[in-house]
Amino acid sequence: MKPRFSQMIISFAITLALLVGFEIITATILPALGWKEYRLTFNVLIILFLAIRLESPFVPWMILGLQIVHSIFSVEGYALGTLAGIIVMISANYLKELLHLTTAFMTMLIVQFFQVIWFVTVSVVICLKVSDFSKFGMIVWSFIPGSILLSIFAPLLFWLLGNIWRVSSDSGHRGVEI
Amino acid sequence: MKLIQESSKTKIVNNVIVAILAIYGISQKNFNLDEPTLFTQVVTEVLSPVQEGLANSKKSVSSLWENYLLIVNTSKENSVLKKQISRLESDLTNMDEVRKENLRLKQLLSFSDGLSPQRVLAQVVGWDSANEFKVIRLNKGTNHGIKVMSPVITDQGLVGYVYRATPNYSDVLTILDQNNRVDVVVERTRTHGIVEGVMNFKCSLKYVMRNEPVEVGDKLITAGVGGIYPKGVKVGMITDIRKENFGMTLSIEVVPSVDFDKLEEVLVLLPVEEPATTASVSVQPTVEAKP
Repeated sequence: MKPRFSQMIISFAITLALLVGFEIITATILPALGWKEYRLTFNVLIILFLAIRLESPFVPWMILGLQIVHSIFSVEGYALGTLAGIIVMISANYLKELLHLTTAFMTMLIVQFFQVIWFVTVSVVICLKVSDFSKFGMIVWSFIPGSILLSIFAPLLFWLLGNIWRVSSDSGHRGVEI
Repeated sequence: MKLIQESSKTKIVNNVIVAILAIYGISQKNFNLDEPTLFTQVVTEVLSPVQEGLANSKKSVSSLWENYLLIVNTSKENSVLKKQISRLESDLTNMDEVRKENLRLKQLLSFSDGLSPQRVLAQVVGWDSANEFKVIRLNKGTNHGIKVMSPVITDQGLVGYVYRATPNYSDVLTILDQNNRVDVVVERTRTHGIVEGVMNFKCSLKYVMRNEPVEVGDKLITAGVGGIYPKGVKVGMITDIRKENFGMTLSIEVVPSVDFDKLEEVLVLLPVEEPATTASVSVQPTVEAKP
């Protein structure tokens, strides 16, 4: 099944709205409840879904759009996450024969694996940018607790996004081609 | 087959274009200061009131929850009385919150008396949504006189400086952030060093030589050099000193004097306006004198 371009626009708009909701939860509600030390980076999870499940030439532009919205809530900016997202997407393309998101546990494992690639990429770029690799371990470590929680959330969020993008779980290992 | 090849080519071209855009963005990125784009300003102005509303509703929600627990335990016989009590307790809780807030604000204002005549009281409405940056969002911006690089403090000590500002909101790079470096002196020994953010809401004091007589418990204050922070603002306290087998400097852990877990209101110190030029001073009364 090939969804129409208009359908893709609608799905993307809903995904952006979902990201804004998650960003507000992460940036305001959780800190107000006392959760200040670690962040749940939902933008990473949403981009991982697009990178792993969608087979579309427009995914890089979607990643850029999502990261621009993310940059409203973070001084990280759009560029770091966009580069990491594209690297994750290319990695997923090479590993597509091995990716089986058939069970919740496998989804968690695969998401954790790609999150590690994401965070290592971001950490390397930050260290290069500030010319200080002594903080590399510290930056990567700061991602770990939040990433484990995100991996636990991943099956639920992938199911939700699967419905938004109309990618059923039995439509192939890498989803449908748009 | 041809279609698949074309799709693959489009994907590669898109990947390359977006990757180039991202690399360009990274090369232009400054982790110490940011000029928000028009898009960022507009979207921040639209979305931040939601954040502000949610941050403000925290007190009401906790008060409601407490009232709910009270009401659940009331018996049928004196339910009316109990409701009255819970209402009064709610009022008292709210009054208590107002009293505490009043006290905090008074402390803030009296604390900053000697620092800058121009200051803006602001409320924290959010934190940065990325792990690697420790940035807070305030509900005041350039419309209230806030400028980038303005220092931000509380009565407990230094919070950070304004990293970027939109008309009604501003983001503050806290001293917990690894990109924020504060020039400090140890209050007791007058030893200079640089405080940088590390993990777990702690900082490290760098560039202190091994032979310096610093001790655990020593307090750090801003040195006043660098042009951002005023001199003498509390920064933190030394909690651990390690002498490594290598290197010329000490490895020092610092706990910030500000309790970032309970940070609600802050003061933004505005730069003192330069005295107006002679010409503009002489013109001003003439204009006002006209009917």
